[in-house]
Amino acid sequence: MLSVSNLSISFDESQVLEGFNLSVESGDIFALLGDSGSGKSSALRFIAGLENAMNGSVVLDGADLSLNGVHSVKPELREIGMVFQDYALFPHMTVFQNISFGIDHLSKKSKTEKVASLLELISLKGIEKKYPHQLSGGEQQRVSLARALANSPKLLLLDEPFSSLDKSHRDELVKDVRSILKKQSVTSILVTHDEAEAKAFADKIGKIEKKQLFIN
Amino acid sequence: MNTKRLSVISLALSTVLMGSVTQIQAASGDDITVYSSRKEHLIQPLFEQFTKQTGIEVNYLTGSGGDLIERLKLEGSNTPADMFMTVDAGDLWYAGTQNIFQSVNTETIKSNIPSYLRDPKGLWTGLSVRARTIVYSKERVNPSQLSTYSNLASSNWNKKLCLRTSKKIYTKSLVASIIHNQGEEKASQVISGWVNNLAAVPNAKDSHVMNAIIAGQCDVGLVNTYYYGQLIEKTPDAPVKLFWANQETTGVHVNVSGAGVTKHASNPSGATQLLEWLSSAEAQAIYGSLNKEYPANQNIDSDEIVSSWGSFTQDKMNLSIAGILQADAVKLMQRLGYK
Amino acid sequence: MKEILIKSNIWVGALALAIALPIFVVGSAWLLPGTDLWSHFAQTLLPELVSSTLILLIGVGIGVSVLGTVLAYLVVMVDFPGRAWLEWALFLPFAIPAYVLAFVYLGVFDYSGYVQVWLREYLGIPGFDIRSGHWAIILTFVLVFYPYVYMMARASFKRQKIQMIEAGKMLGAKPLRVFWRISVPLARPAIAAGLLVTLMETLADFGVVSLFNYSTFTTAIYSAWGDFRSIEVAAQLASLLVVVSFFLIYFERKARGKAKYYSSDVSNIKAYYAKGLTGWLIFLFVFGVFMLSFAMPLLQILIWSVEVFTLEWSDRYFDYFASSGILTISATALIVVIATILALPSRRKSESKTLQLLIRFSTLGYALPGSVMAVGLLYGVQNISLISIYFAGSSINHILFGSVALLLFAYVSRFMAIAYNSTSASSEQIKPVYGQSAKLLGASRLRLIQKVYLPMMMPGILAGGLLVAVDVMKELPATYLLRPFGWDTLAIRVFELSSEGLYERAAIPALIMVVFGAIIMLIFNKLDSEKY
Repeated sequence: MLSVSNLSISFDESQVLEGFNLSVESGDIFALLGDSGSGKSSALRFIAGLENAMNGSVVLDGADLSLNGVHSVKPELREIGMVFQDYALFPHMTVFQNISFGIDHLSKKSKTEKVASLLELISLKGIEKKYPHQLSGGEQQRVSLARALANSPKLLLLDEPFSSLDKSHRDELVKDVRSILKKQSVTSILVTHDEAEAKAFADKIGKIEKKQLFIN
Repeated sequence: MNTKRLSVISLALSTVLMGSVTQIQAASGDDITVYSSRKEHLIQPLFEQFTKQTGIEVNYLTGSGGDLIERLKLEGSNTPADMFMTVDAGDLWYAGTQNIFQSVNTETIKSNIPSYLRDPKGLWTGLSVRARTIVYSKERVNPSQLSTYSNLASSNWNKKLCLRTSKKIYTKSLVASIIHNQGEEKASQVISGWVNNLAAVPNAKDSHVMNAIIAGQCDVGLVNTYYYGQLIEKTPDAPVKLFWANQETTGVHVNVSGAGVTKHASNPSGATQLLEWLSSAEAQAIYGSLNKEYPANQNIDSDEIVSSWGSFTQDKMNLSIAGILQADAVKLMQRLGYK
Repeated sequence: MKEILIKSNIWVGALALAIALPIFVVGSAWLLPGTDLWSHFAQTLLPELVSSTLILLIGVGIGVSVLGTVLAYLVVMVDFPGRAWLEWALFLPFAIPAYVLAFVYLGVFDYSGYVQVWLREYLGIPGFDIRSGHWAIILTFVLVFYPYVYMMARASFKRQKIQMIEAGKMLGAKPLRVFWRISVPLARPAIAAGLLVTLMETLADFGVVSLFNYSTFTTAIYSAWGDFRSIEVAAQLASLLVVVSFFLIYFERKARGKAKYYSSDVSNIKAYYAKGLTGWLIFLFVFGVFMLSFAMPLLQILIWSVEVFTLEWSDRYFDYFASSGILTISATALIVVIATILALPSRRKSESKTLQLLIRFSTLGYALPGSVMAVGLLYGVQNISLISIYFAGSSINHILFGSVALLLFAYVSRFMAIAYNSTSASSEQIKPVYGQSAKLLGASRLRLIQKVYLPMMMPGILAGGLLVAVDVMKELPATYLLRPFGWDTLAIRVFELSSEGLYERAAIPALIMVVFGAIIMLIFNKLDSEKY
């Protein structure tokens, strides 16, 4: 389904990834574990097409997205969804506008239905008219997930989505998000530094060590 | 930012503020202080010459005529100004009505400057004469087609006329003279004729009017002659020429720049001495050559370039009238859409 | 603590009230009996100038918003050839006074200018009067004022979280959609602030409109005063400008909307890379704006300066330069300090509606034409003098008239808006939590201001100082009327020569001003970039 091959990334002078390979099966939830500065986020952002690398190729569903370090498909055309660490909800838009941002081409009616069903999925019915700053951190992250899922991406990338939440809410949210992703059978990659979180969330775990990926 | 930098700034600031209060010029002793709406580059050489001859220092502050009159009124008896100098008869007349001048009627001035260029009560004295007349394209206009200001309103000049804005005081004084000479009804026909004949939006400057004629945007216009002088000095072969308007009728409209001694002058004798000197042949020669104007003192000849334009008959209308009729002139022009 | 706060509020209120003095004097003109001048204006000038003022404001408003925002976005979000130097070069047009740009443009582009001469001679295109109609003057204003929007929008884009744009991209939005739906709405308060300054400046302008002979509200104000010697009607008309500005400020506040705009630290990641042809096309556009708004006018005044250098240059220029320099530096320092005091975050939290209103009033002087404000100030001093005569028996007119102090006061009243806009914008970026946490750490109020607020407000203070410095240097009407003896500035020299049509000679002081202004811009640009 997704395969990343021969990825090499360096920060300034020092190389953090060299000949990194990764493949994820359809419907799987994969956790990429690593210390800070290990290049895990950069790898994720390379898959998204947001960041450049010295070398590396990405194939998704048989299509070449990046070849030998050159992005051949722009981020906006990759059909990949992303959930950010600090949610990145648009502060000037309501929850409805945020979630429907990726499906604006649909009719008003189908947008309303879609948003309502997504809100039901994340157990936050009826908050369409609220602004992000009126929500708690956990609620914002759920909305952010709903937004990423709205246009049914082929792959969902989660960049430390739980790290800015407090412990008690975090465990609950990790479980909820996992069950949502499983229900929708979305192929996903989670990036985290927390091993317990990775175990609770993912089907498979890979760890970055010595610039390479090791699967346990 | 740190407080150190802040305190340095505030220290510097308070120094300036303190300094400024003591900065006021006490018009000490023999010094003369002049408020002038005549621009610095036209008065500074004169004052320099005066100081050289008499040893009396002249301080001056330039500004727009209206502003300075207002400032003089508000300063009242505390004004540092001994003399007020401005460049339009309307402004001189208005300053006269605002009670800021005192009469000066010395024999020297009376013999140097003819009476129609002076205030009847001696409040102000004209120091240079500025003629406003027709300028035309040598290439496209035969001077025999030209005659009067009013004639420029005839349909012969449709889309061929360029004028300076009605906001300029020279335009206002000219129109005031037309109202005086021909009456309001005829004047309004003239203005609407002009407006109909305009080839372009009225220009901000006389120099723009002449540039437009040279470039072919229009064929005729009205300018003060010294602007023509400036142009000819820079480009002697410019294809434009002056035509003396209204020679068969009332004569060319003239305006004056002039000055008067202020009512509350602290050095009235010095100011009178300066005024007398400014009317003298020597100063008048500098006055004219600096700006290609006509001397108000009839005993001396004009600058070489200026005299090459030939002599002409002046409109001898008393210049106070330009001031009195100015508001009517503006109302007329605004009513008829002369911008 | 609370008592100290209230006491300081009273002081700040009094300060704001003092700054607004000329506004009140101008407004008090309505107490004077009416004249028949109003009915004359109503029949002649007013209908045309209301519509032409509106057209001008709308045209300039749209123009500067679009140009300033697009340029700022390109420079911050897109990597294209030449971006690094164009980013600061786009500030430089600030250094050119509007009236100088206007006479250069007329000299170059009007019927008799060499562009049209060339078009006529080589391409046979008939000449046209660029002063008729609205577009040429709108374009001139846009090119001279776009840096206000550019500057504010640029700072705002720089602080925008890159994740916002990345989130947009990942949801399938193309660059144009990201620009319209995410970046621009997030920058809306900044754009509105720049727009507000532009519109107030356009309303108060006299130099450009008189060179183009275009009718705006100031036309009627100057006609009332210059033609009919009616200071009352001039002040009454001018106070209408103040009312218009008050509404503009209200709409600007509204534009900020309900959404919170706390922003993040600055990220250096460029959102887009423009390689190849697209990159060069973007370069061409940005470079074109720079050429038209700065390089070309600079070249023109340089050529003129060289032509007449020996005729015009004299030792007097050291005096002009010193006057301009001293006035600019002292006025800027004064204005910036006051604006910072008015904009401190604690002020905002104090929730005093009266104080807020007073502070707003203190910024309205920007909408007044400079000379109206100056005369307002003279009459204000006169009124105080009358009181002084009543009690102490002597007038204070002669102490204040023609003093640097009064001139500085005029600058404070006139330019407070610029500095305050900038300092208050940066103060609003400070989350309340910083103040709260500092207080919990036991910081005194002074220490809080010193160690927390001032450093955080510094980008805004610097930006405000920069704008004010350049504006003071360019200021003409108030300086012309209020300056003390011997304090002729470069701007006054430019005006005196250009008003006699001596543009070549006027180019020399103009050139010095532009260079001086450009140096100020560069210094601040350096300070500014250190902050990021």
